[in-house]
Amino acid sequence: MRFVDEFRDPELAEVLGREITALCEPGRHYKIMEVCGGHTHTIYRYGVQDHLPEDIELVHGPGCPVCVIPMGRVDDGIAIAERDGVILTCFGDMMRVPGGRGSFLEANARGADIRMVYSPLDALRIARQNPDRQVVFYAIGFETTAPSTALTVLRAAQEGIENFSVFCNHVTIIPAIKAILDSPDLRLDAFIGPGHVSTVIGCRPYEWIPRDFAMPLVCAGFEPLDLLQSVYMIMKQFADGRAEVENQYSRVVHYDGNPVALKVLADVFALRPFFEWRGLGSIAHSALKLSPKYAHYDAELRYDLPGVRVADPKACQCGEVLKGVLKPWECKVFGTACTPETPIGTCMVSSEGACAAYYNYGQYAKQRLTLEVLK
Amino acid sequence: MSDPGVFVSGASCSAEPGCITCGDVAVILTVATVAGSDASCTDEQGRKEQVATELVGEVRPGDRVLVHAGVAIERLSAEETGG
Repeated sequence: MRFVDEFRDPELAEVLGREITALCEPGRHYKIMEVCGGHTHTIYRYGVQDHLPEDIELVHGPGCPVCVIPMGRVDDGIAIAERDGVILTCFGDMMRVPGGRGSFLEANARGADIRMVYSPLDALRIARQNPDRQVVFYAIGFETTAPSTALTVLRAAQEGIENFSVFCNHVTIIPAIKAILDSPDLRLDAFIGPGHVSTVIGCRPYEWIPRDFAMPLVCAGFEPLDLLQSVYMIMKQFADGRAEVENQYSRVVHYDGNPVALKVLADVFALRPFFEWRGLGSIAHSALKLSPKYAHYDAELRYDLPGVRVADPKACQCGEVLKGVLKPWECKVFGTACTPETPIGTCMVSSEGACAAYYNYGQYAKQRLTLEVLK
Repeated sequence: MSDPGVFVSGASCSAEPGCITCGDVAVILTVATVAGSDASCTDEQGRKEQVATELVGEVRPGDRVLVHAGVAIERLSAEETGG
């Protein structure tokens, strides 16, 4: 466990916590957004916030791939799955995401054939095994996952597999960060950058953030000490009067990313003019579709889809949670009408969603807070 | 920091307790054997996973790669792996 243990050392965490505290300017409150849902999960699971001084607040961002899928796109997936002869494949968390007509799990119970896969390559294997069926992969995810879909399309084309297509919901992180920064609701001081997205896109695409907004961004790994060290690096930038892009996760992130993966993405995908994000609304150039060269594999062109925009349930405040404006427990239905077993909003579905992460791990932090207040 | 647990490794996704692909989880695996553009890789517990390697160039047994959704998205250099 050499790559894990050394990043979970509690004594080192305490040392880092003290050094971070020493860098705080008295009377100043720092709001640092972790963009990636994987980071949110680590923060709650390991109590990272407990190692930080009260003046540093971690704000959860929109980087959970499942959480940002709007209800209408779930309904489109169900419409595909309900066609004769179709097998719809998707990642595990998508199964429970509620749409206007229920979830994929519920559609399965009504007779649709929707199967969980770990990789889009598994979906292609199902297509090979079922030449008399149409196999559609419901693609979600940021730039970490998009290369695997792109590679699968390339393999399908090389092998001449005709009964495979992709319903593409891949989104890109930079426009989402821009939308957050343009939001009048939120004041931020710095970003913890997404580690695995950055493995693909590198650190260069974030350089406009310190340049235009004078805000530090540090690309971070996913262990608790990775996050604490990233907060330290951000605080050091404040102390030095700097605002830069730095790379804490240098053991896997190269500053220029993975050029082969980027080339494959550019070949297989094209930017959509607009895409609707749950909670953030329509964002220009924020999502991918199949490029004209591979349009033959585009499920949106292969099937007639409802394409209807479905409003989120009124009680759901996922939008505010995704923008970091509300903490999960401040949502009206958190933990009562909305739980991981019966989610109303997407943030309660994926373990990387801020609400599910807080529901599963955060109550311990809340208990500690209550005890301190009682004291 | 009391929870010593680790993210689940290996080729699996489930709706419960959570999908590792949806969570942007990537795991470091070691290449065991190579057949064309696919490699059989193992994790720290010896669990095997079939991995597509086109995005990281040629790999050899013993190389360590970062894997997400069955695809290697980065190769770790000898310096990074301490090898």
